[in-house]
Amino acid sequence: MSDLAKEKAARLLKKRGSVSSLGSHEVRAREPVGKAKDSISTVSYIDEPGHHDDNPRPTVQMENTYQLGPTKRFPVMTVKEILKDVLASYLQEEKYEAELCRQMTKTISEVVKARVKDMMIPRYKIIVLISIGQLMGQNMRVGSRCLWDATSDTFSSHTFKNSSLFAIANVYGIYFE
Amino acid sequence: MEDFQSGEETAFVVEEVSSIVKEAVEGAIGGNAYQHNRVNQWTNSVVEQCLSQLSKLGKPFKYIVTCIIMQKNGAGLQTACSCFWDNTSDGSCTVRWENKSMYCIVSVFGLAI
Repeated sequence: MSDLAKEKAARLLKKRGSVSSLGSHEVRAREPVGKAKDSISTVSYIDEPGHHDDNPRPTVQMENTYQLGPTKRFPVMTVKEILKDVLASYLQEEKYEAELCRQMTKTISEVVKARVKDMMIPRYKIIVLISIGQLMGQNMRVGSRCLWDATSDTFSSHTFKNSSLFAIANVYGIYFE
Repeated sequence: MEDFQSGEETAFVVEEVSSIVKEAVEGAIGGNAYQHNRVNQWTNSVVEQCLSQLSKLGKPFKYIVTCIIMQKNGAGLQTACSCFWDNTSDGSCTVRWENKSMYCIVSVFGLAI
């Protein structure tokens, strides 16, 4: 009986789409000064749930797997190696240029996601976040906090720097119960 | 097996989340200029405020909140994210905020349990 459930779960996992959220955000260099308001904020929706599905899938009845936790955990160190590898190979000799780096962030995030997916860690959802910035002596702080199950969910992070740019890569692995 | 209602109550609602985030950012760094020794505290408070408000929504979601605070220096920044998840139930929202001396970018990812 548990084999049937496993098969169903595997089929569902394959059907579940992978979203290339190719939304990228650029902070333009040298913003024009002289705004009346003191601060402005903009919202971007990278992804609207349900819009990608042309035929709405019927609600699936999932069978109980009686599984309390993940059988195979998210391999943090392996993913960190992947990040090191990908960032170094794509950015070693590059200079910061707005258009190039815009494409680069999208490409790198797709490549990292594909490689982590290749590791075939069952029942894990993956989020890859890449930021590439120009080195101009500015200060920057990146913080991240998560509300999740600490026993099964985790993340992996790596930073890369060369003479003109820096890159931050974060990969989050979330167990799907 | 109980049937859980999916759709109305348990989808990721972008408007709700973005308003929570805007409030949190305004509250934490609203009228301030960039100060190196306070940035750490600011990122922490933005993220914690967002997370506590999100958990109060009481939805069956796991959340990831990322905050980037950057000094305005003429430098450029590009950010991209790529996600492998369930399109119908999971979602994300990014809010960009700025004032005269700094930028703040907050991304929230919500994954259904």
